[in-house]
Amino acid sequence: MINVEILIVGGGPAGLCAANAAADLGASVLICERDEIPGGQLVKQTHKFFGSRKQYAGDRGIAIGDFLLDEVINDPKIEVMPDTTVIGIYEDGLVLAERSEEIIKINPRKIIIATGAAEKFLTFPGNDLPGIYGAGAVQTLMNVAGVIPGERVLMVGAGNIGLIVSYQLAQAGVETAAVIEGAPTIGGYLVHASKIQRLGIPVRTGYTIKEAYGDGKVEGAVICRLDAAWNMIEGSEEDIKCDTICLAVGLTPLTELCWQAGCEMAFIRELSGHVPLIDKYLQTTNPKIYVAGDVSGVEEASSAMVEGRLAGYSAACSLGYGLDTAPSLQAGAMAELDELRAGPMSDRIRQGVEKVEKMVTKGGV
Amino acid sequence: MRIEQHPILEFDRKEKITFFFNGQEMEGYASETIVAALHAAGVKELGKSPELHRPRGLFCAIGNCSSCLMVVDGQPNVRACVVKIKPGMQVELQSGKGDLK
Amino acid sequence: MLINTGIPTKEDLAKVDPSAERLAQGPVAIVECFQEIPCNPCVDACKRNAINIEGDINGLPIVDFEKCNGCGVCIAHCPGLAIFVIDKTYSESHAVVRLPYEFVPLPEKGQLACALNRAGEELGNFEVVRVISGGAKNKTTTIWLAVPQDLAMEVRSIKAPNSAPNIQNSAPGLQSSPTDTLICRCEDITLDEIRRVIADGYRTIDEIKRVTRAGMGPCQGRTCRQLIAQELSRHFGIPMEEVLMSTFRPPVKPVKLGSFVKGGDL
Repeated sequence: MINVEILIVGGGPAGLCAANAAADLGASVLICERDEIPGGQLVKQTHKFFGSRKQYAGDRGIAIGDFLLDEVINDPKIEVMPDTTVIGIYEDGLVLAERSEEIIKINPRKIIIATGAAEKFLTFPGNDLPGIYGAGAVQTLMNVAGVIPGERVLMVGAGNIGLIVSYQLAQAGVETAAVIEGAPTIGGYLVHASKIQRLGIPVRTGYTIKEAYGDGKVEGAVICRLDAAWNMIEGSEEDIKCDTICLAVGLTPLTELCWQAGCEMAFIRELSGHVPLIDKYLQTTNPKIYVAGDVSGVEEASSAMVEGRLAGYSAACSLGYGLDTAPSLQAGAMAELDELRAGPMSDRIRQGVEKVEKMVTKGGV
Repeated sequence: MRIEQHPILEFDRKEKITFFFNGQEMEGYASETIVAALHAAGVKELGKSPELHRPRGLFCAIGNCSSCLMVVDGQPNVRACVVKIKPGMQVELQSGKGDLK
Repeated sequence: MLINTGIPTKEDLAKVDPSAERLAQGPVAIVECFQEIPCNPCVDACKRNAINIEGDINGLPIVDFEKCNGCGVCIAHCPGLAIFVIDKTYSESHAVVRLPYEFVPLPEKGQLACALNRAGEELGNFEVVRVISGGAKNKTTTIWLAVPQDLAMEVRSIKAPNSAPNIQNSAPGLQSSPTDTLICRCEDITLDEIRRVIADGYRTIDEIKRVTRAGMGPCQGRTCRQLIAQELSRHFGIPMEEVLMSTFRPPVKPVKLGSFVKGGDL
């Protein structure tokens, strides 16, 4: 049995920042990371991050992962347990994890769940053919392994991920036939769309994928136009020759542990799925459990890092650490979040966060 | 296909190693996962689905979705997207939910 | 429209372009950033404080064209690669467009590169007059391209040398045959089957799970649960908020029995 003050589940941007923040206040921290090296999905983000200096804006995601990890590794108060997946949080507070095909027991005083999100799947005939990937999978193949997924790609979704991955495909020498988006407008940052348009990659809004076809693997796709009510317009079909279809249709929070640990949950569309109800310090309705990052609502990595810090300060403070400094550090992180979410592109996130706040003050769903 | 030249990244692939895919000898690099090495060789089909026997390939690449389960050294249900290749490793297509040998 | 295509219109550009008089005076930065997003590295990049944003970090950048001397440091610092420097004083016939570039191989000074406009259309081959490395950390190269004066406000990219040949899409004479739509990849449950059991009267995710096994496979419903919830929501005309979720129990991912046996002190 491992006794620890704060257990962090997931060593992505939120988890690493949470660890640093909690350790800064004096708490001892254990990070359980399912992968061999922490860093989460930063390892495949080759583009420069937005935000301000406080969130490492202007640096590439990969570099941010490296220095967050450096800080964690050089902090004697933090232990990182790689290749370890938390599989359950039990009523008595005991946590079970699997490490190298062996079950271990952890007895933490506080838990910060920072498990991130998973890619959404889309329904269309042939949607399970080999050659159809989540956009993140294509990033992993290209930017971690250095292997291209195919030669010609149809990108489904013009949110930030779809736009960024199309650009990254071009950097790897792979052609993107088109980026299609069901909505009438581009969901991601327009600078990302402009960046790929000027390479000759068309972004086509108001289009969806009708079906994928191929013998044993993708050989092409049929796309078609959508009307204002999202119905397919008959006769508008086009055949796109491609060997790869990339689904960038959003992420959904990975909340199994929150559900299973009895945190009160609610479906908040603006936050991309079911999320735990939390207070402004990121504490769930299970007083032992805090959350940070995409698990409490899918957003940018920059806000995940700030949420990580906030959860780390909050959890450490609840154990009596940094009672004098924590309140101002928490307030600082909250102000950063407010600023990141102040613009029109964050309308949805703000609405989602407000919904959660209202539910919490009402005392539940 | 592997990316040889990249504007942002350098790939430290480590040493070249040999493994087997359905009994056929294949080359890969020590840093690569099973699916990365197979994709580099153009192999996208990793198995057949349990009921409808449809071809299955990689989907999430980070161990979430279990679309890439393969038989590795006789053990079924290995997530080929997160397990790295090793010299002499026997990788096979998995049909359905796998049998213990 | 920019919001539909990502290609700024003349009206958009009119808001950020410097005056003809300023362009005639020498190099100047143009920030083609039209959307309020939380981002401000351009402000920090400019040593002459020529770039400012109004309000919080979501404000649009505004270039003070009088302070800007067209040094171009900002080009490689914009995460959106939206900054260009235009020098209309390069020669009588040619202007220089300085643009960010993140592809390999890099063109060399003196080589011709194929210029592209904001829609990716080819405008001709023009001379690369300078290549400035962004350095080991930044990695964004700045390319100086000498283009005819009348294209200075059009050229915004060059074609990557390794870009694939354009494969033509065929007209809709489709070669496909009808195939299934999968909902649960692990257990091979199709959309038709989910719809059938919903029509049979099963109305929660757990009921559907028990009768079809959708969500009982190795991914434990991570891929299919949302899709089933959407089907229930659609069929019964209830909002997603009211679709009853399944029960979650540990272990939340598949674990071999052997792993429990090995966990010595359990």
